Amino acid sequence: MHRALLPGLTSMILLAGPATAADAPPGASSCTGCHASKKVSDSVIPRIAGRKAPDIVTLMSDYRSGAWPSSVMGRIAKGFDDRQTEAIAAWFAAQPE
Amino acid sequence: MATRRHFLKISAAAGLAPAVVSAQGKARVVVIGGGFGGATAARTLKALQPALDVTLVEPSPVYTSCPFSNSVLANLREIDQQQFRYDGIKAAGVTIAETSATAVDAEAKTVALADGNRLAYDRLVMSPGIDFNWGALPGYDEAAAEKMPHAWKAGAQTVLLRRQLQAMDDGGLVVLSAPANPFRCPPGPYERASLIAYWLKIWKPKSKLLLLDSKDAFSKQRLFQNGWAELYPGMIEWVPLSQGGKVTAVDPATLTLTTEFASHKASVANVIPPQKAGAIAAQAGVADRTGWCPVEPVAFESTLRPNIHVLGDAAIMGGMPKSAFAANAQAKVCASAIVKLLAGEKPQDPILINTCYSLVAADYGISIAGVYRPDKGRLTDIPGAGGTSPLEAVGGLRGQEALYASSWFRTIAAETFG
Ligand SMILES: Cc1cc2nc3c(=O)[nH]c(=O)nc-3n(C[C@H](O)[C@H](O)[C@H](O)COP(=O)(O)OP(=O)(O)OC[C@H]3O[C@@H](n4cnc5c(N)ncnc54)[C@H](O)[C@@H]3O)c2cc1C
Repeated sequence: MHRALLPGLTSMILLAGPATAADAPPGASSCTGCHASKKVSDSVIPRIAGRKAPDIVTLMSDYRSGAWPSSVMGRIAKGFDDRQTEAIAAWFAAQPE
Repeated sequence: MATRRHFLKISAAAGLAPAVVSAQGKARVVVIGGGFGGATAARTLKALQPALDVTLVEPSPVYTSCPFSNSVLANLREIDQQQFRYDGIKAAGVTIAETSATAVDAEAKTVALADGNRLAYDRLVMSPGIDFNWGALPGYDEAAAEKMPHAWKAGAQTVLLRRQLQAMDDGGLVVLSAPANPFRCPPGPYERASLIAYWLKIWKPKSKLLLLDSKDAFSKQRLFQNGWAELYPGMIEWVPLSQGGKVTAVDPATLTLTTEFASHKASVANVIPPQKAGAIAAQAGVADRTGWCPVEPVAFESTLRPNIHVLGDAAIMGGMPKSAFAANAQAKVCASAIVKLLAGEKPQDPILINTCYSLVAADYGISIAGVYRPDKGRLTDIPGAGGTSPLEAVGGLRGQEALYASSWFRTIAAETFG
């Protein structure tokens, strides 16, 4: 739908265009402060873009409960409920690996 | 939902119908300041909505990062490893105006530039960082900072402080003074004390560090103090406010710092002065009497002037600290909210994360994290989330967090500058 924008249509797009990337669920854009959106050399922090959504959800719930030990992720996972976590997981799963 | 109401009120006051199309047919966003907040905002705006006309105003062709600059003091890094250029931002389609913003006209929605040009905007993003309250500490002014560096804006000041430390005789006294809240990077003075002690212990082990504080408590306090006792016993003395830690005057000629109780003559003095939002914020009318900028918690639009969003250190962000991680996270939320607003849509309530690592030694890291959401008109900590590293470290936790710290820095630099 967004292909071939005519200059005259720009304003319409601005008025009406669903800005998909802008619709990342609450919290998702903060994750990339550590989990790089594009590959970064020499980082020991794993990327999450392109990971399977159920895997992210399981890991987050294990971080939250403490079933899976972590340095910082347990503290962060506790800020999100199941529904919010699922939305973030689905969003990252849909991002290019 | 005070948040929404407030938000709608501002938007209505600004006559914000979805009529954002300029004469050229492109909505224009101007971003002032190419640091962690501004550079991220500019790049993200363009990535989310390529049709936007985005201009980043930043006088310096090279950004020198404060995060990890304490490692430069300890000789663990060089200053050029702290430096980033704007090529990645340019490549993303952002126009760079390599000059300062000198005046914002919130009525006319224009920004005057030092090079004589004037930019019109539909939305303005300001992330000018901090300036120092030069008047607030008697004796401390720009000239004094050449003798008693602050090194709280990284670059020449960082190099100057490192040179002074290296020139000091073994057995010297390093005095560091930390300001009252709020200020840039709450754990920063204590990471700095740690890494200076780390370096002194190796190269000038008879030396001492005196930390004069205008506060009685500080970020990650017990973790820092445990680390100091374990790694640098007897080397760091912290004097809190209640024991006369507040520095009331300095004398750059004799490197003397005066507190309510005593005078301390330093071999090297690092004065971190009281701070306020970058000066352009007050000029634009977005700073309040505290010197900082109040914003609503969804799009970070100023509560004082419509169509101006303030990010990062300059803004009052409720529970969020003034950190590069926070500025980057806020910028991404703000960019997506601006895209919505320009499309005449309502931005969603955000959730933001902050994580700040500090090094107590090269291979000893600690962290503090928080998760925030809008509540009653301000960004508020989500209860039960966040907090600091455990006081008892099992396994190689401190070493692991030190590795995470440097990985975070590489990532945030790439996320910000491309
Ligand atoms: C020693 C130290 C260590 C730190 N360590 C960490 C850390 O480990 N982790 C962390 O998250 N944070 C850390 N910080 C904090 C971090 O540096 C700041 O929070 C961050 O830089 C804030 O970003 P900002 O965009 O608000 O401001 P800045 O990054 O300061 O950017 C502001 C930019 O605006 C420009 N500017 C100002 N006025 C104008 C104008 N009128 N016109 C045009 N441009 C203008 C400036 O040139 C500058 O480039 C540290 C800070 C210090 C001092």
